[in-house]
Amino acid sequence: MSQVFSALFISRKDIESYYGKPPLITWGILFPAVLMLAIYVKDPGTYLNVAPGIIAMTLLFGNTSMAAIVVTFEKRSGTLQRLLLTPVTHRTIVLGKATSAAAYGIATSLVITAGLTLLLGMNLVNPLVFGVGLLLGAGIFSLLGLTASVMVREVFEAMTLMNFLRFPILFISGVFMPLEVLPAWAKPIAMVSPLTYVVELLRFGISGQCYFSPPWICGIAAVGFLVFSWWIAGPAFRRNASR
Amino acid sequence: MEGGSEYIIEVRGLSKSYGETRALEDVGFKIGRGEIFGYLGPNGAGKTTTVNILCGLLRRDAGEVTVCNLDIERDPVPVKQLIGVVPEESNLYPELTCRRNLEYLGELYGLSSTARRKKAEDLLEIFNLADRGTTPFRALSRGMKRRLTVAAALIHSPKVVFLDEPTVGLDVPSARDLRALIQTINLSGTTVFLTTHNLAEAEALCDRVLILVKGHVVTEGTSSEIRQRVEKTTTLSVILSGDVEGKSLCDACPAVRSVSSIDGTLHLEVTDPHAAVSQVVFFAEKQGVRILEIGTAAASLEDAFMTILENKVAERGGRT
Repeated sequence: MSQVFSALFISRKDIESYYGKPPLITWGILFPAVLMLAIYVKDPGTYLNVAPGIIAMTLLFGNTSMAAIVVTFEKRSGTLQRLLLTPVTHRTIVLGKATSAAAYGIATSLVITAGLTLLLGMNLVNPLVFGVGLLLGAGIFSLLGLTASVMVREVFEAMTLMNFLRFPILFISGVFMPLEVLPAWAKPIAMVSPLTYVVELLRFGISGQCYFSPPWICGIAAVGFLVFSWWIAGPAFRRNASR
Repeated sequence: MEGGSEYIIEVRGLSKSYGETRALEDVGFKIGRGEIFGYLGPNGAGKTTTVNILCGLLRRDAGEVTVCNLDIERDPVPVKQLIGVVPEESNLYPELTCRRNLEYLGELYGLSSTARRKKAEDLLEIFNLADRGTTPFRALSRGMKRRLTVAAALIHSPKVVFLDEPTVGLDVPSARDLRALIQTINLSGTTVFLTTHNLAEAEALCDRVLILVKGHVVTEGTSSEIRQRVEKTTTLSVILSGDVEGKSLCDACPAVRSVSSIDGTLHLEVTDPHAAVSQVVFFAEKQGVRILEIGTAAASLEDAFMTILENKVAERGGRT
């Protein structure tokens, strides 16, 4: 139980030091808000098709980037080593850091969602599934961001490493392009992208429709990715955090 | 949890390599409860590697390491609860205030809210930082940063504190203050593991020291034991009221091996200081001169350290 409290203390400290700072909040909200507005201005009739993808993209980029910045900064300043000297396990550190990054991603995504609802009239048909999608997406992307960033020393190395994954999956996970129009060769790849399932869960929450598979299958797949991300993050931290 | 062993740290056959480089080779030592133990060596000797293994930041390749009878690799969380670490570089959170840094670490060590607030205030007071409680860590001077880093290592009242080069880069008054604080910490019963380049500091603070060269333990003991091992003779410095002939003094005092005179002070190389003093007193009376000053000028730990290093270099030269 004390390890759970320690994770919460780590998380609260990270929010206080990094995620709660106005520049980071602004960065996390402005980019997807401007993108969404641009799509709405171009064609007000189709923005709802892209909205789940943009919200999922906010989670993907927000969580992975911020986790990478925080971990590489702490590695360089020695404060991650300070944390490793305290009586907390590597898993506790991963849980604490992932929780704060996830909270940041969820908060920025909720602001975007609130803007879409209040300003553009978007409805949440199934808020529960939408919320589950947000939670699972935030967890998966935070853990993947932490895993990538702990293996390198510099922020740019973490960003380069993650961009190899992030940009390609944007085009095969239903963010901009509906999954049913993907070429046949791309569909199997879409199945192994966690973003696909997060987008589908958010889509079901917003419109009540899933293109790829029923929401419960998307939920199980996303939980599977969350468990996998958690499973690889522990050893990655144990091996690389004190280097 | 700690058992009944008289030793708080026990290390046997510790080895560690970085690729082809052997950082530590079969290192062993024991540290008693309440000791200040000096871990000395030149750059690259393996001091920081040892500290990192002892506090759980690095995994060892071979050997046994117990802290309070617990193996750091098998029981990292309980061991970390019992130790405090001050690394070579101050590594607290730059954006947090001094008070928040201490309280945050108190949270991670499981202190209750009241206990960590009180402990933080006490430590700020002890370390002369009470007026800096709301100052961010990054805004402190180097000396203050060092003091707060030591304070942070004590937030949970550890049994052992590891201090890795604690006074490096500090000005003389700050270094002196910190040394006084280290003694205060030790007086409260905390065992101190001190790595340092500063041999005068080690000599002044440490109950026992170990000298490590290229990952090997070269010698271990109290400062005076190490000096005696290296230097079998002691130097007596004597000022007499009148001139005496060096050779006659040497002949009259069997414990005196040689005599030299610099600026009116006689430097006597003696094998047995106790016997030499009484022989010199007897000789002075016989010669009708008075002893104005007499004292030992034993080799310092630094002299002993340099001799050990030179012997090591000569040994390696002999082998190749």
